[in-house]
Amino acid sequence: MSGVLSGAADWPPARFACRRTGRLEVAAFLLALAAFVGSAPVLAAKASETSSPEMALLQKMQQAARSLDYAGVYTYQEGSLVLSTRIVHVVDGTGERERIALLDGRPREYIRHNETTQCLLPDHKVVLVERRDPDRFPAILFDDGARLPAHYDLQISESPERVAGRECRDLTLTPLDAQRYGYRLCADQDTGLLLRAQTLGPAGVLTQIVFNTLDVGKGVQSETLRPTWNTKDWKVVEVPVHEVDLASEGWRIPLPAGYQPLTQVARQMKAERQVKQLVASDGLSTISVFIEAYGDPGVQQREFGLVRKGAMSVYRKRIGDHWLTVLGEVPADTVRDLAHRTEYVPLAVP
Amino acid sequence: MQAIKEQEHQASLEASISAWIDAEADIRPEDLDTPYGRRVWDTYHMIGDVLRSEELAIKPSDFLYARISRAIDEEPPIVAPRPLSMRPYARAGLSGLAVAAAVAAVAWIALPYFTASDGGVAETPVLATAEPEGIYDYVAAHRDITGVGPVRQVSFEPGDAR
Repeated sequence: MSGVLSGAADWPPARFACRRTGRLEVAAFLLALAAFVGSAPVLAAKASETSSPEMALLQKMQQAARSLDYAGVYTYQEGSLVLSTRIVHVVDGTGERERIALLDGRPREYIRHNETTQCLLPDHKVVLVERRDPDRFPAILFDDGARLPAHYDLQISESPERVAGRECRDLTLTPLDAQRYGYRLCADQDTGLLLRAQTLGPAGVLTQIVFNTLDVGKGVQSETLRPTWNTKDWKVVEVPVHEVDLASEGWRIPLPAGYQPLTQVARQMKAERQVKQLVASDGLSTISVFIEAYGDPGVQQREFGLVRKGAMSVYRKRIGDHWLTVLGEVPADTVRDLAHRTEYVPLAVP
Repeated sequence: MQAIKEQEHQASLEASISAWIDAEADIRPEDLDTPYGRRVWDTYHMIGDVLRSEELAIKPSDFLYARISRAIDEEPPIVAPRPLSMRPYARAGLSGLAVAAAVAAVAWIALPYFTASDGGVAETPVLATAEPEGIYDYVAAHRDITGVGPVRQVSFEPGDAR
């Protein structure tokens, strides 16, 4: 039989939605899962690789992003698009505090305290409150990264680079298959903080995010965490999100090798639209699968097939009474294959 | 050989059971011997039996036929549901059963009937005319959770009329 049908075996059982699960528990679960699919010896071999200098550097980047005080401006670049962002990150007795201010386009600020993020929308005079996994640039990993050596070749460069006036060393991750892009990550020599992250396609850099200026340690003033606007009389809106289990609803979503679900939620999008979203990651790159009821008000009643922009690939199609939209910072074939191999199989009734 | 094994292992349980009933793959008793597995097995067999011998089937009322016809007429003609299985039928006489199993599980498979060129769209910071309508909502919702790309975005804006 052809490889058209697939999915059940690599689909974790219900209740995997791990937003509030500790990283250690996730790792333990992944191990248990790997044993369940019968690849325990492979994973055991991988586990020993986590002590490699490359993996150690990745962990150091992740740890630095969470535990250091830093402030600076970084720039995201994708083709001719350039967007700059100011970031302040301070760790105090209560945990992590962070302020992110977008410097281009519509003014937005994100004030984070551990897992709670307030998004300030001055044009609406609204504060959106979200509670979710905090890790973003300059953090880079979406889980413990244990599956990365199985899908990427990791290499630390011999010669140092210079970014934002600091010396850093490149860690290059070359994908071992065509299902994901490569990455080049430059980690600060002194602190391990990620100074530059580049997504690499076959033809070179697709997107990059780079610190332009950066202060680390004592120079960071905690007063700069204060938002620009006084939000006292703004409306506070909690973003409605709740967890779902797509597998138990009959969705067979055959994720590419190495990808594990990070979270599955039902959430609102613009125009009061209710969508279900699965986010999966191989540790570095991510894919979202959106499922909407066909004919729901506000849902685009159009296919747009395959489109791509920068590192982002999107594929949308109809499956029976649903719209399926798959996207991620992965090669176009990855999202197309995933969409084509997805099945909707409501459980058979006796 | 290994590759074939793995591919089979990845097939959904329903598809696997359908293949086992069609004798197109070796039965894995450990997967089949679960309450759900046995139920699917029995259901698929019953469908096959009914298809082969009309006396087992209940004669539906004319109303049912009318309702089905109407439902089919009302179905938007964008995607016709295709039965499971693009695999070659090894044995001609059994294809009906495979189709029946597919109907029982109501398995919809996405079919590659729309293959746009891999060209990509105009690279502009905001919604451009070249971009399919609504695509930006999904990108924002993705980045809202993953935070990659232009840091983060807001996919949910109260009062946004779009």
